[in-house]
Amino acid sequence: MNFWLELVIKLVAVLLTVLTGALVVIYAELKAGSHMQSRIGPYNAGGRWGWAQPLADGLKFLQKEDLAPAEADRAVYGFAPYVVMMSTIAVFVVIPFGPDLWAADLDLGAYFLLAISSISVLGILMAGWASANKYSLVGGLRAAAQLIAYELPLVLAVVAVVIQAGTMSLNGIVEAQADTWFTIGTFEVSAPFLVRGQVIGFVIFMIAAVAELSRIPFDMPIAESELTMGYLTEYSGIRFTMFFLGEYASMIALSAIAATLFLGGYALPGIPDSLANFAGPGVLLGKVAILIFFFIWIRWTWPRLREDQLQRLAWHWLIPLALVNIAVISIFKVAF
Amino acid sequence: MTTPEMIHRSEAAVSVELQTPDMTLNLGPQHPSTHGVLRLIAKVDGERVRDVEPVIGYMHRGYEKLSEVRTYAQITALVNRIDWVSGFANEVPFILGVERLTGIEAPPRAQYIRMILTELARISSHLVFISSYPLELGATTPLMHALREREYVLELIEEVTGGRFHPNFNRVGGIKPNYGGGSTTKKQSMDLPAGFFQRASEAMDRMDKICDDIDQLVTGNELIKMRTVDVGVIPAAKALEYGLTGPNLRASGVAYDLRKIENYLPYDDIDFDIAVREGGDCFDRYMVRLQEIRQSARIVRQAIEKIPTGPLQAKVPRVLKVPKGQVYSRAENPKGEFGYYIVSEGGKMPYRLKIRSTSFSNLTILPWVLKDELIPDLVAIMGSLDFVLGDVDR
Amino acid sequence: MSDQPESAVSTDAEAPEAVPLEAYASELADRLGAEGFTVEFDTVRIHVSPDRWVETINAAREDLELFSWLSAIDWSKEVEVGDPVDDVDALEERFEVLCRLSSVENADGAIFVATLPRDEPSIASLVPTIAGAEWHEREAHEMFGIDFEGNTNLAPLYLPDDFIGNPLLKSYPLISREVKPWPGDVDVESIPEPDEEPGDES
Repeated sequence: MNFWLELVIKLVAVLLTVLTGALVVIYAELKAGSHMQSRIGPYNAGGRWGWAQPLADGLKFLQKEDLAPAEADRAVYGFAPYVVMMSTIAVFVVIPFGPDLWAADLDLGAYFLLAISSISVLGILMAGWASANKYSLVGGLRAAAQLIAYELPLVLAVVAVVIQAGTMSLNGIVEAQADTWFTIGTFEVSAPFLVRGQVIGFVIFMIAAVAELSRIPFDMPIAESELTMGYLTEYSGIRFTMFFLGEYASMIALSAIAATLFLGGYALPGIPDSLANFAGPGVLLGKVAILIFFFIWIRWTWPRLREDQLQRLAWHWLIPLALVNIAVISIFKVAF
Repeated sequence: MTTPEMIHRSEAAVSVELQTPDMTLNLGPQHPSTHGVLRLIAKVDGERVRDVEPVIGYMHRGYEKLSEVRTYAQITALVNRIDWVSGFANEVPFILGVERLTGIEAPPRAQYIRMILTELARISSHLVFISSYPLELGATTPLMHALREREYVLELIEEVTGGRFHPNFNRVGGIKPNYGGGSTTKKQSMDLPAGFFQRASEAMDRMDKICDDIDQLVTGNELIKMRTVDVGVIPAAKALEYGLTGPNLRASGVAYDLRKIENYLPYDDIDFDIAVREGGDCFDRYMVRLQEIRQSARIVRQAIEKIPTGPLQAKVPRVLKVPKGQVYSRAENPKGEFGYYIVSEGGKMPYRLKIRSTSFSNLTILPWVLKDELIPDLVAIMGSLDFVLGDVDR
Repeated sequence: MSDQPESAVSTDAEAPEAVPLEAYASELADRLGAEGFTVEFDTVRIHVSPDRWVETINAAREDLELFSWLSAIDWSKEVEVGDPVDDVDALEERFEVLCRLSSVENADGAIFVATLPRDEPSIASLVPTIAGAEWHEREAHEMFGIDFEGNTNLAPLYLPDDFIGNPLLKSYPLISREVKPWPGDVDVESIPEPDEEPGDES
């Protein structure tokens, strides 16, 4: 196919996936969270199930006035949400939805993911500083400290997977999990890395992911009851929508990464190869949905950790544990 | 570098210019977690609060001056708005003070009903605390569950008194005789609504259930413990020096409960425990209030069984003249000791009414306890003191 | 998983036998070297000379540990709002500063009263020994104009910065009454006649 046509199709596909996915996840959070609080949640918008609520919210935000604080640094203030959004969308470029359904198959897939997603820290710092507001500044600084601290366990957990798979390419990792592990008679058994000894790695990755998303219990940067939205305080309208969508998009992104690295990605044992391209996205989305439900569940149940407790968790517990994990996986990889 | 003396009270604008190492953070009157319009001028060094100056008075309504131009009956209507979360409990000490001055004693049934309504007010106030305190720590779910249960209690109060928050139910010599539903002949239907006791018992069962649910959701939670244990410790001696009363004092180890000490209502006939914890940190204050909900449910159940029959109001002369004298009347409000010092010079209006409001005294300790705490702990400690700005400002 | 309170105190008749209040008040006044005492309507008032204010209160705090409140009363012949005192001619115009201390073990408590002259009302501050008195003194200062020596933070507590005057003085008018005159004593629910049941309306 024409290179440019292919490029356009891929771009459109990725953008659509991200945006509709984000809206669906927002709706799921509203509904699931409400039921956990013995409420009903969105009820009227778009009929009885309130499915059009996120759309309605989005349209409402789009038509709001473009406000910026008088003292704010307009350029930085305006650009910050797009930095965050851009780094989130870029992640989806490498995630494989099926054996042939991917936008780019990089040899350095895992490395690319981690590098790009850490650019969002910059965006948050920009937002916190440029808002000319002390609450935002404190929130931005908290966010920077937290996100940098939790990058490390994230990276180390991914390193363990890469060692076990033998390749950094995400397609390669999915295929490594679909490969036979051992045979019982003529029956070939394959299992995702979670089952093959990456339990600790998975737990570390999920905890670090919640922290990277700044969700409760790690939402010090946005601590609503203390800092009235932290670095997001001065944002409204379209820019706030960008942040908002970005948060939910990165929730999907991190879940997709976790599903690809630990749960087997688009592959499911028992699906014949001919159907893999059709069933692949469904399988991946199913796994992503389960992980997102865990994110939502935890958010509505637990309180938030204090900043120093948060840091202590990362540096005293997660990082040493991740290093031990790497060592153990390496030993097993070499020995067996 | 700013020194404490340089913080001028009228520094309302948040300045962009940053002065390291100390920054003045204004937790302004409008803030999600200051329980009303309270302004805190905090000098912050990174995340650590060096000094806090609370600014109050945004809700000052001048109760004490207003009371000098209102008759005692009119003051009863005003007074339940001081601590609006526990409406009925504010009226009780005032009306008891007037009854002491006039020598009129309320009949036993009225006293029991006052006791039941005070305990319902206590449950209502503590449920507000249980719902809003975890929210300040970040847990969003107990809010909904506790407030849902509170609806049952508020419905009970409304059934009897006509008002959820501002009952205006006490009268000198008893409580307001109800002209309940049904026939309008004068001598009938002057008592509590039919089926009230049944509904109250069911509501108390729900109170026990919500306490169990909250125990599961919040109390055993490691994260809650990490945020509240050993945070904001107030030793007993300091608490007494600052005039802390109620659950705040009982969490610091001082077993001081006016319900046991002063027999202003027939608590002697009822068997209940007072919740005391050593330690004085935020977790203890939270636990004391949770236990008090259970004990209040216990009191209400026993009061329902033991309530005597009889009239609801004593015979009161047509023109109520309160003799000359001064009396200090106090009661155990949900938030602490609530008192009225009534100076009467004969006549229909008091010469001076001094209101000893619980949250005012509870709030005085804020600068001391917040010294050198982290900002998240500031919110946790403020929430654990459970004050209401109407009570602070009168 | 419910936490039991570490110590749930159950007391039935724990308060010691109520010593008749007169005897208690007289003993307390003697011990503290006070000028006198009054007991009426179950309330104990100990009259203290302003010079001995701080030492009396500190001595009393050994038994009565809880500092409850501190306030003032303005005794004045001319009142702008409300009813004047019972016997206007016999009234001595003065300020009274009240401080209530309570015991935490039983129902004991006393209100300590110090009389101050009207022209320059000033008394020693309790803040050096009782830190919690600071806000109470601030309130008394802004409402009555009483000066508390030793309290360095007598800034207004409730009133706006540009407020002039001391509102709780009897000579200070009630602005709402100036704006809209008093409609009279309107009783919506009349108090029943002595021979009527409550609820009998004639």
